[in-house]
This record gives sequence, C-alpha cells and structure tokens, in this order.
Amino acid sequence: MPDMNSLAHPQQHQFNPYTENGGTILAIAGEDFTVIAGDTRQSEGYSIQTRYAPKVFRLTDKAVLAVNGFAADGNMFVKKVRQRLEWYRHAHAKDMPLRAIARLIQTMLYARRFFPFYVYNILGGIEEDGSGAVYSFDPVGSYEREACRAAGAAQSLVQPFLDNQIYFKNQTPAQDTSHPVHLPLHSVLALVIDSFTGATERHIEVGDGLEMYVVLARGNPALQSLQDLPGAEEVTGTQAEERVFVIRRDLKKD
Amino acid sequence: MFLTRSEYDRGVNTFSPEGRLFQVEYAIEAIKLGSTAIGIRTPEGVVLAVEKRVQSPLLEASSIEKIMEIDGHLGCAMSGLTADARTMIDHARVTAQNHRFTFDEAIKVESATQAVCDLALRFGESVHDEEAMMSRPFGVALLIAGIDEIGPQLYHTDPSGTFTRYDAKAIGSGSEAAQSELQDKWHKQITLKEAQVLTLRVLKQVMEEKLDQHNVQLAQVTPTGFEILDETKLQEVIEAM
Amino acid sequence: MDHFPTNWGRPRNDLSDAYGTFPLAQRPYNGGKDMFAEGVKHTQQPIVTGTSVLAIKYKDGIMMAADNLASYGSLARFKSIQRLHPVGKYTVIGAGGDMSDFQYIQSILDDTIIEEFAASDGHTLGPVEIHEYLSQIMYARRSKIDPLWNSLIVGGVKDGKRFLAYVDLLGTTYSASTIATGYGAFIAQPLLRKAVEGNENTLTEDAAMAILEESMRVLYYRDARSLDKYQLAKITADGITVSESRHLQTSWSFAEGIRGYGAQTQ
Repeated sequence: MPDMNSLAHPQQHQFNPYTENGGTILAIAGEDFTVIAGDTRQSEGYSIQTRYAPKVFRLTDKAVLAVNGFAADGNMFVKKVRQRLEWYRHAHAKDMPLRAIARLIQTMLYARRFFPFYVYNILGGIEEDGSGAVYSFDPVGSYEREACRAAGAAQSLVQPFLDNQIYFKNQTPAQDTSHPVHLPLHSVLALVIDSFTGATERHIEVGDGLEMYVVLARGNPALQSLQDLPGAEEVTGTQAEERVFVIRRDLKKD
Repeated sequence: MFLTRSEYDRGVNTFSPEGRLFQVEYAIEAIKLGSTAIGIRTPEGVVLAVEKRVQSPLLEASSIEKIMEIDGHLGCAMSGLTADARTMIDHARVTAQNHRFTFDEAIKVESATQAVCDLALRFGESVHDEEAMMSRPFGVALLIAGIDEIGPQLYHTDPSGTFTRYDAKAIGSGSEAAQSELQDKWHKQITLKEAQVLTLRVLKQVMEEKLDQHNVQLAQVTPTGFEILDETKLQEVIEAM
Repeated sequence: MDHFPTNWGRPRNDLSDAYGTFPLAQRPYNGGKDMFAEGVKHTQQPIVTGTSVLAIKYKDGIMMAADNLASYGSLARFKSIQRLHPVGKYTVIGAGGDMSDFQYIQSILDDTIIEEFAASDGHTLGPVEIHEYLSQIMYARRSKIDPLWNSLIVGGVKDGKRFLAYVDLLGTTYSASTIATGYGAFIAQPLLRKAVEGNENTLTEDAAMAILEESMRVLYYRDARSLDKYQLAKITADGITVSESRHLQTSWSFAEGIRGYGAQTQ
C-alpha cells in the first residue's frame, strides 16, 4: 500500500543546481610527452545538446586541462583557473609549473568543499624536469600523479583497457622479456583513438568528435612526425620550448 | 634637510610642494642610526652578517636577534628599528607558507621581497571607519637573501617600499664605508668561504668595538637552505680572517 | 594582522571583490546585515511558462521561432505573448520557461544596451557578448540557489559571423547549428538536424522558414502547452526582423478515425 502521508502533504521539490553532461576524458603520460584527450559531445539525459563542446583546454605551453562532469561548472572552473594562472604570471614573472597548477586546482576545488564544482579534472603536461605527467582529481580536490587516467561517462569502459594496455595488468611478458615502462607517442595515440572508438560504440553519451592534445617536452624527437601528421594543428603559445598540438578525429554520431 | 622642516612634516602621507614625503625620508634616515648589516651574493649562496651592539657586559648577546629565517630558502638581516621588522618578517613568513600551501613550491625571492614591500606604504589614515594598522612608516631596512630557480639573490628594501637587487650591500651606520669596501672586494667568482670572511672583515672595519663571536652574527642561504652559523662555525670564520 | 593583500584598505561596506585572490574559501564580510534575509523567497518553480523555442543557422544568418502562448499550468493563460526579444542591433533572444523571469532578463539586457549606447565608445554588444553576459547571470543565480527559470537561445549576426547558442537555469551553455528548447528538444530537434546539419551555408531563407514552420506544426500537434500562433525572427547582416504572429494550418480531421480518440461508432 502506498504511503498515504507522502500523498497528503504537498510535494516539496528542491531546485537541483547540478546536472550531468556526459562525455569522457583521458590522459596518458609518456616519458617526454603527454596526451590529453576528450570527446566533444555534450548531452543531458538522452538528448545530444551539441556535437561540439570542447572539454580539453590548453592552459600554458606545458599544461593542458581536461574537465568532465557538469559542463557549466567545468567552464566556470577553467575560466577561474586561467584567471589564477594570469595573476601568477603577473606576480611571479613566469608560467606556473605543472605541479603548482595541480596544487592550485586542489585548493580551488577544496575551497568549494561544501558546494562543489561537480567536475572531474585531469591535468596533463610536462614537469619542470621534462617528464610527461598526468594529475587526476576528484570534485573536491583529492589528487595524485599517475601515468594514465580516464574519467567521465565511459571511465568504467576505458580505465580497465588502459590498465591492461599501459600498466600491462593481467599480462605476462614473454620469456626473457619485460614490459616497457613508457610507450612511444604513436602507440599512445593509437590507444587513445581505440579507447574512444570503443567507448563510442558502447556508451550513448560518448561520440561525435575527438580532440587529442599532445604536449611535447623540449627537444622531443617526435616533433617532426607531429608536424607532418595531417590534421594535427600546432597550438603552442609564444616562447616555449615545449610544443602543444591538437589532433581532431571524427567519432560516430549515432 | 632638517633645517627645512615645515608643516609638511606633520601628515605622514602629505606630499610637500616639492613632491616629497618627509616622514618616509626621515624613516630612511633612521636606518643610518642602526647597526651595520651586510649581505654578499656568491655563486654558491648568499651570506648575511650583522653587527650586534653589546651595550653592557651584563647584556646577554645571544638575545639580540638581527638575522631571521623567513622560509627554508629565505633569510633576512635588518638594520634600524628592528622591532618594526617583526611585522614585515611575520608577513613574509605567512606569504611564503601560503605560497607553498597553494602552489606546492617555494616562493621566489623577488616575490617574497615584493610582499614585504607591499606593507611599507600602508601607514597613515584609515579608510572609512576601518582601523588604521600603522601610524608611521617602518623604520627599518632589510637585506633579504634567498635561493630560487634563478639562483642566489640578495635584495635590499627600505621604508619607502622600494626594493633593489644587489651583489653586495651594506646598510646601517657603517654602510657608506662598508659599501665602498664591498665594491672594491666583490667579484663574480667569489666563493662562499671568501664571502664569509669578507663580511666580517668589512664589519670589523666599521665597528667601534673589537669584533668577536659575541658581537657579530653570520648567516647564509645555500642550496641546502638557510642557516645561522653557530658559535663554533663563527669562530672558524673569525680565525680565518 | 590580515596577511591577504586583497583584504587591505577596503571600506567596510565594500561588497564586491574586484580581485578575489586570497583567501579562497572565506572572506571577511564587512557589509550590513540583511534583516529580511530569512524571509526572502526564491523561485522554486516556474509559474507562467512558455514552451519550446527553435532556432537554426541558415545561409544568410539565424532564424528563430517561438509560439505566442504563456501557460499557467495547463491553462492557456496568455495567448499573445512575444517570446522572441531583440537585444541591440545584432541579437535576438528566445525564451522558454518562467515568463516573469524572462521579462526580468529583458529589462536587464535592455538596460545594458542603453548603457552601452550611452557610453558611445565605439563598442557595440554582439550576440557573443550578450550570450556570455547572460550565461554569467544565469550561472551566478543558480549558484545562489535562486535560479532564473528559463531556457534561452541567443542568436545573431555580427561582423559577418553567425552565432547561435543556448543557456539555461543551470548556467549550462552550448552552441550548435540547430537548437531547440523544452519539448522541441525531443520533437523538433531531430527534424531540424536532418534539414540543417551540413547545409548551414546553402540553406535558403525560404527553406529555413519552411522547416521551422513544419517543426512548429509538429510541436503544435504533440505539445499540449503549445499554440498555433507563433512568430519568426530573422537575424541577417541586414538586421533583425521579428515577424507578425503567424497562424499554423493544421488538420485534425484524421483524429476522428483514430480508435480511442474520436467519437467511435464501433
């Protein structure tokens, strides 16, 4: 029998300030490069709002941020991070290093602990020592440096694939061989594309377009191959010895 | 200068018709009454040395503190109204810690210096009914020594809030003589050891009392961090003079 | 002592935070106490509402459509409400959701345009700027848990560039070549996408008008909160035109033959 009390009283419905806008992001660190990628579909429920809403943003010449979750919070968060990066540049006469951006993002997220930005962040780029790095965050600021991370709608599809292909989980190396510690750029790009085509097949909120940002450390030998890659666009800022590229691919639109 | 005293002496933030802030200028004069402090930058690190005026044999020399730590990589020597330096160093320390908290990195030497200087001109009348924090300019000059990604650096700040970077700088009563001596002796390849000895030699020249391990204080910032030299280490440098 | 430079030298009643650096979490509040704060009632639900707005990009610019109905629940309360509102010389906004909140938004935007005109500094607000401004307002209000209960479409043409974007009560934004709000997102959007996607630069004015009219008709057949009176707005390089109210030709005779709908003989 239905609870009569709940019917007798007027329904109190509270405004929900959050929604989920789907999509998936992913980042993989190489020895001297990092790839940060995201699909471009934005959705709410079963509706596709747009086929092109970027979730990956170049912050500096050595830092790229991917933001996934509630799109309005995501856009506002990126805007605020960028503002802080500019203030930092003015105050300290240098671009903020990657690990400092990572810490800044933690403090900014935790500052909103009791009304969180409902976003999962993945920060990728090049550290001061020239190594590729990925930092992943939860919505209230817990963070760690990792070699790879997927987040968003298809995290549960992509992360196990990455665990297997990047960390070689559940794989045994052949006799007298060992697994490589770092993969080369072309293998990483192939894994990213496979991750997203796979997620597009199996998850309704993933698809339409793919944007892959590649950040190369100083003197990375892969530079030439990227410059020759059709469809790769260089988006490096002014000075920088690090180089940033974006590669765009179509994903299925159904 | 002191003869031209006028009504513009009164307000701490009133410009004279010639465009001067007398109280700030007098504050700068106050430094010249202070004990001498010296800083020398070397490729290995920065050395700070101060003279302690031990006024009485009953005075506990170790209770005179004129070199202080701001952060692990930042030190500071002072001359003038040293009590004023507490406010400034307190602010520098908080700023440095806040920078570490927010950015997970050590603050740059220039940024810490800038933070201290931001305080300098915050004297005078309050805004609306807010309470004024300070009624007069600081009467102290600082030598801020530190190491960051740019390398070892030495900054000088004065009561006007102006800061300048030096290879070697002397402040306080003996500063004029000391500065010209530093200009003579400083060179690009000076070692940390040589700098330690040089600071004491210069101090010795300008001090009235005979220099010993009780009436000077020596500190340094090297890649291992800030350190005030203890009595044994200080004794070694004195002996090397 | 207060070690955060942004808090220095502020008058007691300075509510705005022009720099907003530190501290991140809390800032001392020096303003007066709002004695009525507890009594303030926020919009908890929309009251008088408008339904779908449709908009597409086409060859010469942007075209938008919205019907003339403002409903009070299921009552068709106001039947000649205009929901397409020109803002300045380059932009039209279309609104669904709470009509009083929409009228408030209109007044804000009209004030902004007047201010911008009065400044006569050579700046003119285009659709991009108006959409950004509107987005900040909508997001700020949702963050106060006091939303403006609307779904808004901002469309326009300035400096030879077409612009079409959306913002709603949550501050969610996006831009696309076809946008439909409310019920239109389910019913009209597929029709619009089929006609427009890939043809943005070839679709003629007549074709754009036809597809919007057809979509409005389908909506009128299916959306119980819609009306057969609607307006079209067209924004091109030549400026804005908002049409007179148009009437949708519909035919309901087929209903008679549907079992369980019309009067049944058997």
